Amino acid sequence: MSDQQPHIRNFSIIAHIDHGKSTLADRLLQATNAVSAREAKEQILDSMDIERERGITIKASAVTVYHHHTPGENADELESEAAAASGDTEAAGSGGEDVRTHGSELYMLNFIDTPGHVDFNYEVSRALKACEGAILVVDATQGVEAQTVVNAYLAISQDLEIIPVLNKIDLPSARPDEVAEEIEQVLGIDPYSCIRVSAKTGIGIPELLAAICEKLPAPRQPVVPQTRALIFDATYDDYRGVIVYIRVFDGRLRLGDKIRMMGLQRTYSITELGKYTPKPVKVKELGPGETGYLVAAIRNLADVRVGDTITLETDPAAEQLEGYQPPRQMVFCDFYPATSEKKGNDFEQLREAIEKLSLNDASFTFQPVHSEALGFGFRCGFLGLLHMDIIQERLEREGGVEIVQTAPTVSYKVDVRTKGGEVEETEVHNPADLPDPSHIVDVKEPICRVEIMLPKHFIGDVMKLCLDRRGQYKAQMFVSEAREMITFEIPLAEIIYDFYDKLKGMTSGYATMDYEVTGYRTDRLVKVDILINAEPVPALSFIAHRDRAEQRGRQLLVRLREEIPRHQFEIPLQAAIGGKIIARETIKGFRKDVTAKCYGGDVSRKRKLLEKQREGKKRMKSVGSVEIPQEAFMAVLDTGE
Amino acid sequence: MVLEGAPARGNPGYRAVRSLYIHVPFCFHKCHYCDFYSFVDTQDRQEPFVRRLIRELQALSPWAAGEPLRTVFVGGGTPSLLRQPLWTVLLDALHSHFDLSLIRAGAGEFTVECNPETVTPELLQALRQGGVDRVSLGAQSFQPGHLKTLERWHDPASVARSVELVRAAGFPRWSLDLIYAIPGQTLQEWLLDLETALSLSPSHLSCYNLTFEPNTPMTRRLQRGEFRATPDDVAGEMFQVTGERLRRAGLHRYEVSNYATPGQESRHNLAYWRGEEWLAAGPSASAHVRGHRWKNIPRLGDYLSFDDDGFAPIQDHEIPDARRALAEDLMCGIRLAEGVEAAPALARAAALDPRAPSRLLSEFRAYEAVGDLRFDSGRWMLTDAGFLRADAVAADLIGALEAQPDEDAPVGQDAEER
Ligand SMILES: Nc1nc2c(ncn2[C@@H]2O[C@H](COP(=O)(O)OP(=O)(O)O)[C@@H](O)[C@H]2O)c(=O)[nH]1
Ligand code: SF4
Ligand SMILES: [Mg+2]
Repeated sequence: MSDQQPHIRNFSIIAHIDHGKSTLADRLLQATNAVSAREAKEQILDSMDIERERGITIKASAVTVYHHHTPGENADELESEAAAASGDTEAAGSGGEDVRTHGSELYMLNFIDTPGHVDFNYEVSRALKACEGAILVVDATQGVEAQTVVNAYLAISQDLEIIPVLNKIDLPSARPDEVAEEIEQVLGIDPYSCIRVSAKTGIGIPELLAAICEKLPAPRQPVVPQTRALIFDATYDDYRGVIVYIRVFDGRLRLGDKIRMMGLQRTYSITELGKYTPKPVKVKELGPGETGYLVAAIRNLADVRVGDTITLETDPAAEQLEGYQPPRQMVFCDFYPATSEKKGNDFEQLREAIEKLSLNDASFTFQPVHSEALGFGFRCGFLGLLHMDIIQERLEREGGVEIVQTAPTVSYKVDVRTKGGEVEETEVHNPADLPDPSHIVDVKEPICRVEIMLPKHFIGDVMKLCLDRRGQYKAQMFVSEAREMITFEIPLAEIIYDFYDKLKGMTSGYATMDYEVTGYRTDRLVKVDILINAEPVPALSFIAHRDRAEQRGRQLLVRLREEIPRHQFEIPLQAAIGGKIIARETIKGFRKDVTAKCYGGDVSRKRKLLEKQREGKKRMKSVGSVEIPQEAFMAVLDTGE
Repeated sequence: MVLEGAPARGNPGYRAVRSLYIHVPFCFHKCHYCDFYSFVDTQDRQEPFVRRLIRELQALSPWAAGEPLRTVFVGGGTPSLLRQPLWTVLLDALHSHFDLSLIRAGAGEFTVECNPETVTPELLQALRQGGVDRVSLGAQSFQPGHLKTLERWHDPASVARSVELVRAAGFPRWSLDLIYAIPGQTLQEWLLDLETALSLSPSHLSCYNLTFEPNTPMTRRLQRGEFRATPDDVAGEMFQVTGERLRRAGLHRYEVSNYATPGQESRHNLAYWRGEEWLAAGPSASAHVRGHRWKNIPRLGDYLSFDDDGFAPIQDHEIPDARRALAEDLMCGIRLAEGVEAAPALARAAALDPRAPSRLLSEFRAYEAVGDLRFDSGRWMLTDAGFLRADAVAADLIGALEAQPDEDAPVGQDAEER
């Protein structure tokens, strides 16, 4: 390496899921010799088990590698090569060998692997804040998908330089020319600027590295003399506590510095400073434009706010860097311990698991709740449905607890008239908490902007689906001969229940969608109460649009009729809005509960069956004299149709 | 299976085991509802099986300690599928390893399960000579359509024929197995089956509600939607009319699914339900000896290849446990019309947990209040209606033995919302 300061390039890789972001990150690490081929475990940057299994990237990681490049040498050549789609890697280096080894300069490439899923858009945007450029990966066999669009818009809106990459050109089904046109159609990006690569075989990787060095801007120059670094991520490590990912914009951070978090007003001393290469490598300081991590004996993830600015305690900056929006919980549900055998312990176990996990993921909220039916548990808030699934899975896997999860709901904003007559806004994310209808002035619900990319011949069906879900048509855009993109505004509450499954089902899996919560809107929303044997069961109430309340109420009652075992008496089931019955069903009396055979002499088997039956029964909740199994409470979940 | 200290005469406190179950796993066709360990033996392993079985009987024989056996039951599978010469060998061996004098004197019971299609005068002769005094015939249904639904292969007419043969061969007792609540079966059709059975003047009938056991073809067909299960209330009505019709014919319900004229109850099955001890031989057979329970591994291959001084490979061994024993006695006992003797049950419960008796009593009272249980001559027993909820009752009685989780409410102190 030369004694010269390396050129710095900070960039993210953004893509629709499975378009090859993680694989490309591997290939870049390998090409820059950060890892040997032997070491290259698949998808180095995705470190969590679940990520590996589900093939999604959850936590953004920042990695620094060094690369030699001869500036200005063959940028034009590269572009024309890419246009020729030859993928001929030899050509890129032809005649350049000497120049490269002699006139080459050192580049420090800091790159950030971002999650691709809709739920984690906030992580994408925070990663983007630390960058000057983004590599937009598009699968050359699949073409532009909904997440491609949403992520690209995010990058464009932050003024990042975009390098479009057509991936998987090794596949016979790749159609890079068409996909390059799609990119132009939808995003207005010059199709000739697309670099054609195979993250699998390595074709085009040298060209991509050259483009990163050539096309991406250098970090901006410091604008204030004081130190300012942006926190763009944080993770928790059992030994070192919180590891804070930072991007230095102005000044420097040195080992031992006393730092101040400007937003939270907390101070710490830096005990470790480093970079991931991807192995952690300690450094003495981080200068302007650099990314890296710091450790400062911070014990709780909650003590760090992503988007906060770090400055020096001795010479603090006057103003913070432009931060980010804190993550917003949009989907809520309750978690209860599933086995009620040893109720107290299970709850404690769940609490421990949740607290431990929250050290790792500060983006979900939790609060103890008690449900008549399910005992003690937690009401949790998530960024989206996938986030909810992932948290549940991690709790079960890492915390060893079995979880009963209630139906997800969204967070409503409710204007309530107080005794004094003024109107006050409250947030309600549990239908049971909705105030008395007579006090409600207005109920507003979160609205999403939904982008759907789909084959043309499904447009009719999908439009109908969106309209059925109270969607408002916004736009339709030509993507290619075969595909269109449509944009709708749809209430989040309609999306969290089986919208995605329906969409996938009716388009044989071909449509992709992404959404972003854009605001709140008033609609005719009502709380539907469920009465079993004339007693209201708060855990079963739900919020629905007035026009759909009857239908959903009836669906739920039908499910309840199936789930609640027969009793010796008749049980009326009713759905009601503010005392007015809108649907009813009846469970006939008489219940049979006997097995014919005692399995010969296999008494143990019979006993075990009975014990299992008892377990089931213990999980039933008595409302009046009616026993309701847990499954019935879950029925609120799948009343979509 | 080797237990510590096989009893021997002179060993103080020994108790001889007086019942024996033998499992023959062969069938000529697998019925779709069946989840017994049985299969079509394409390799003809009857002979090695009988040889192996005899070694196991020899190994088990010390448990009888020379005392005469009270009951023997050979079930399956289809024991009548064993060729007659093999039966003769088996019965001879049984006589040489066990004392069958009580049975021969008519004071015990020796039952063999037979398929109506496979009984022949020769086979019956051999059985009778070998001391067998009771035959249990699998009739299931008299209607070809319903037998077809069950994929049960026999000609309904063969039932009456085989009953005749059994009588002619001099068996003092026989029984029929019937199945009801077969998909598509109406109440009238079931009543007709009962009439047909009664026309043969049986002294014992087993009437089983069809159950959909996991991993049976029947259950898969149900899941595929090939047919619908009989609704619970219809099955319940079938159960009730069975009790009424058979009572008029002089057969009383002495267990959930079993009916007999007085004195003709199956003594072997009563031994199971009364928590007595029995030995078990053959793959999948379950034993109960001195508080231990275990089951021979249900795989003929293992049975034939593993031979530990004659003992069979076993699984699910449960060691003696007072709570488990009481639970099992309650569970089995309550299925009997005679019910469970209350005082000893309460005393045993008290020994487990001083609060258990009051929990047991309150369960009893709750079921008494709804008319499912009654108290009579010091015993808890199911009412006619209560028989339909025997499992719920049993589950709750067992549950009363467990300490109830106190409502020590765990309240969140430090997990505020963040
Ligand atoms: N044939 C081929 N497969 C690829 C290429 N890049 C990625 N893949 C495969 O595409 C799948 C998704 O890749 P991954 O990197 O996990 O995508 P991500 O979800 O965007 O991170 C994996 O099975 C990869 O092996 C490529 O260039 N060629
Ligand atoms: S004959 Fe009996 S044991 Fe054999 S398959 Fe049929 S039901 Fe099962
Ligand atoms: Mg990935």
